[in-house]
Amino acid sequence: MRAAPARVVDALGTWCPVPIHLIDRAARRAAPGEVIELLADDPLIEVDLPAWCHSSGNDLLELCREEGGDYVGRVAISRGGRGGGPPRGRDRGRSASG
Amino acid sequence: MAAYLDHAAATPLDPRVREAMLPFVADEFGSPSSLHDRGRRPAEALERARRQVAELVGADEEGVIFTAGAVEARNLGVKGLLRGNRRTGRHLVASAVEHPATLAACRTAARDEAELDVVPVDGEGRVGAGDLAARLRDDTALVALVHGQPDIGTVQDVPALAAAARGAGPGARIAVDAGETAGLLPVDMAAMDADALVVGGPALGAPAWAGALVVRSGARLHPLIEGGIEEGGKRAGPEALPAIAALGAAAELARAEMAGRAARMAALAERLTAGLLAVPDVRLNGPREGRIPGHVQVSAGWVEGETLALALAARGVAVSPGSACTAHGGKAAPVLEAIGLEPPWTHSAILLTLRWTTTEAEVDEAVAAFAESVASLRAMSPLAP
Repeated sequence: MRAAPARVVDALGTWCPVPIHLIDRAARRAAPGEVIELLADDPLIEVDLPAWCHSSGNDLLELCREEGGDYVGRVAISRGGRGGGPPRGRDRGRSASG
Repeated sequence: MAAYLDHAAATPLDPRVREAMLPFVADEFGSPSSLHDRGRRPAEALERARRQVAELVGADEEGVIFTAGAVEARNLGVKGLLRGNRRTGRHLVASAVEHPATLAACRTAARDEAELDVVPVDGEGRVGAGDLAARLRDDTALVALVHGQPDIGTVQDVPALAAAARGAGPGARIAVDAGETAGLLPVDMAAMDADALVVGGPALGAPAWAGALVVRSGARLHPLIEGGIEEGGKRAGPEALPAIAALGAAAELARAEMAGRAARMAALAERLTAGLLAVPDVRLNGPREGRIPGHVQVSAGWVEGETLALALAARGVAVSPGSACTAHGGKAAPVLEAIGLEPPWTHSAILLTLRWTTTEAEVDEAVAAFAESVASLRAMSPLAP
């Protein structure tokens, strides 16, 4: 039986690059060893999540597609606080358009 | 205005709440998304408000999504959870006394191929746990439950209803509308077993254009407004910092002062209710006990509600006809029909909502103006006995 994820990142209804921004933010706040579950429905996640895991140094445990078409990715954080600590704000530096 | 008893529609700001919001319509104009220093204080204020709202309802601050008022939060809860949980099914259940925004969102979903079951209520607006459970199915994706009914003020036993819903439809998400109660009554997401919870400004002493949907981790929510990372991607677009700062400050004050406020409002509401009911042929809609604090709706026989509200306004007393949310159009409030009322009671309701800042003098002024207005309108009515 697999362990329940410490964090669930719900990126349903969002499009690239938002899902990767969201899991990156969660990863920055996570401790090494934590497992983050990503929920997404943008098909680009099939490319983006493995690429982000590779570039960030975290481990992609699985990425599967549920009945209904949504994706569930599970990532083990091996480098918590990647990038030198959490951002000061929840979404800082991500979007300023209005 | 001699008496302002329309706080559910809009409420004056506590000076401490106003103080919290003013910097963000003045010097602190920066975007919380910015990397440069102008974004630092707005970003801090945004996260502080998120924590303050989360603490009010016993939630994880990561789950707080700020919206432009409770109506948007209600729409986001219904449409977002239904879309996010379509793998469970397309069946949803709502009580007959939901806020009009919740019912509208449910009906829109039903028009778009979802299947809606509406749970009836008793004569005081209460949902029965058995009635609710009987409507749930394996493919029920969403249950919508209002905690405090906005028109008649009935407070539901949400933990009992949620337990019944979980037993009958284990896959369903539960959206609780605490838009009229969070800040006035203790609201705890875990105790209510809510997957999503609506918070609204006026109940807290914040502007009506401030609100939030608080979502439990893993509830699976789609956004209504797309195209940005703000609010975790669930509500794109620049954050309304003045509203958010006000909501957060008001939430913290409500949490600290709730007990004292409740005691004062209970005494004022009892004084008001007794005074209104002393007028012949006036009925209280909803229960005498177990109401939203400071919330009084009455129907005055043979007097049309909108006309009565105007007559009271002419005497300097501010109230809403029927409800604060559906105050126009001369139609019977669906909630009054749902509790089994018939004309003339369905067309003769006014809603009076007070707060801890209301004075005894305002209450007495309202009671006197009500008695005068009802008497003068009945004197003109060909129907009144």
